[in-house]
Amino acid sequence: MAKLEDSWRRFSEKSASYTAYAKAWEAKIGAFLSFNPQYKPTSTSSAPSGDSPVAGLPFGVKDNIAVVEFPLTCGSKMLEGLTSPYTATAVQKLIDAGARPVGKTNLDEFGMGSSTDNSALGKTNNPWDVTRVAGGSSGGSAACVAAGQVPFALGSDTGGSVRQPASFCGVYGLKPTYGTVSRFGLTAYASSLEVIGVLAKSVGLTRAVYDIIKGEDGNDQTSLKSEPGPARPVRKIGVLKNLTGLAPGVETIYRESLATLKKLGYTVVEVELPTLEYAVSAYYTIATAEASANLARFNGIRYGLRPEYAENPEDLIRKARTAGFGDEVKTRILLGSYVLRSGFQDQYYTKAQKVRTAIRRDFDRIFEEADVFLSPTFPTTAFAHGDTTMTSFQQKLADKFTVTANLTGQPGLSFPAGLADGLPVGLQVLAPVFEEGRLFEVADRFAEAVPPADCPGTSLDWSL
Amino acid sequence: MKHIMDIRELEITAELAQIAFTPAELERLGREVTQMVSYFEKMKEVDTDGLEPTTHAFVKANRVRPDTVTPSTLADAALERAPELEDRFIVIPNVL
Repeated sequence: MAKLEDSWRRFSEKSASYTAYAKAWEAKIGAFLSFNPQYKPTSTSSAPSGDSPVAGLPFGVKDNIAVVEFPLTCGSKMLEGLTSPYTATAVQKLIDAGARPVGKTNLDEFGMGSSTDNSALGKTNNPWDVTRVAGGSSGGSAACVAAGQVPFALGSDTGGSVRQPASFCGVYGLKPTYGTVSRFGLTAYASSLEVIGVLAKSVGLTRAVYDIIKGEDGNDQTSLKSEPGPARPVRKIGVLKNLTGLAPGVETIYRESLATLKKLGYTVVEVELPTLEYAVSAYYTIATAEASANLARFNGIRYGLRPEYAENPEDLIRKARTAGFGDEVKTRILLGSYVLRSGFQDQYYTKAQKVRTAIRRDFDRIFEEADVFLSPTFPTTAFAHGDTTMTSFQQKLADKFTVTANLTGQPGLSFPAGLADGLPVGLQVLAPVFEEGRLFEVADRFAEAVPPADCPGTSLDWSL
Repeated sequence: MKHIMDIRELEITAELAQIAFTPAELERLGREVTQMVSYFEKMKEVDTDGLEPTTHAFVKANRVRPDTVTPSTLADAALERAPELEDRFIVIPNVL
């Protein structure tokens, strides 16, 4: 851990070879939508950052999070060419701690997808196998960390968008407790579910970045101070009693990892989560409803795409949205507008919010039986670009392990647990709200027994 | 399950969403919308009697802040991003 960060601190001394290394990888994986290692951020802090664990480190920022003077495209034609006039709170805190944003990473348009193939502005490949996707929607952030272009990156997690790409790319991906990290500067998709998260090469760095970016913020009325309970060691790990539908490689790693955790002294207890099969329904009802409202702001008037000609303001708005949004975004806006229509609200939206309460109660019970809950992050490893074995609908169903944490607000961490046919498999550990410490503890102990594999071709000396 | 919901329902929804679709597009995207809406029906199986809806992960209390003027330097930079500007006004086509 110390070694990893020390290597990265040479970044400023060896900037020419660093840039050559990052660009060589970039040609293969397309993690960034914009890349500028010479970017000079402005700190708002007068305190020296020398002792900060991130001082001098470069980092990537998902392109739906604002960094002043960098583009802010959300992977959409709607916002192509837009630069941000301000910086997100989470990014500013890292800058104040001495870290340097070097680029904006690719994503599924407005964060909607599980492959990053829904980006209108670039194609991102998985560094482990460039014929495969990096996952999504924070695919660029996961890929750039896995390839060693940066030691960490920020992403956003609405239904698994940090954890799933972290699993596909073999890095750590933290979805913090809802509200503990300010969303100021994050382009809103589903406000009641999403949070800015961390993708990093080590547990220690994930924790260090989280400690820096968390905290209440006057610019985000939903932000909260993290108030964890008294620290005590994790003893019991809850797992699902009947777990089916996993790809064979994922199943093997999952079983092996449970054996490893038992050897490390943890007690593995089987728990029931009867509401799991309704989580995806509740999640997509709420997410698309909120998306249809949040994306109403993209109307071509104040910024973004404007049609060459429009008869009147309504025509302008319709033309801008029709030309600016891709198919997945349009599908979700349609779906969200439908479930919110008068007459349908109780049947879908209100029902989903009640199911959300039922899921939360299930987890309250589970965390009386166990200290943390463990499952695979995603039922498969990274799939191929254009793979037709998983339709867009099936990809949504596969979000079932990750969406629960967004519905309950609980923190989740995907950690690399091994390789299946040369592709990374991540496991997800969940804890009660504010108990991120338990996630780091389990992932740290696991890494001692099974150190995460480095992606072939990655290096920290940048000599290529 | 119906292959696709009533096309008129989709047209009304598209109108509300302020997006124009060709009939072919509406048929293509409508198919997934229909599939998802049918899937949402599954939630009927859950007994939610007596459960309050969760609107946010945490709602402690309504949050208020002091009603004071705080300076912002963002206005000019934000206006500069408008596609068409005249002085400090954003230009749009005929309103009347």
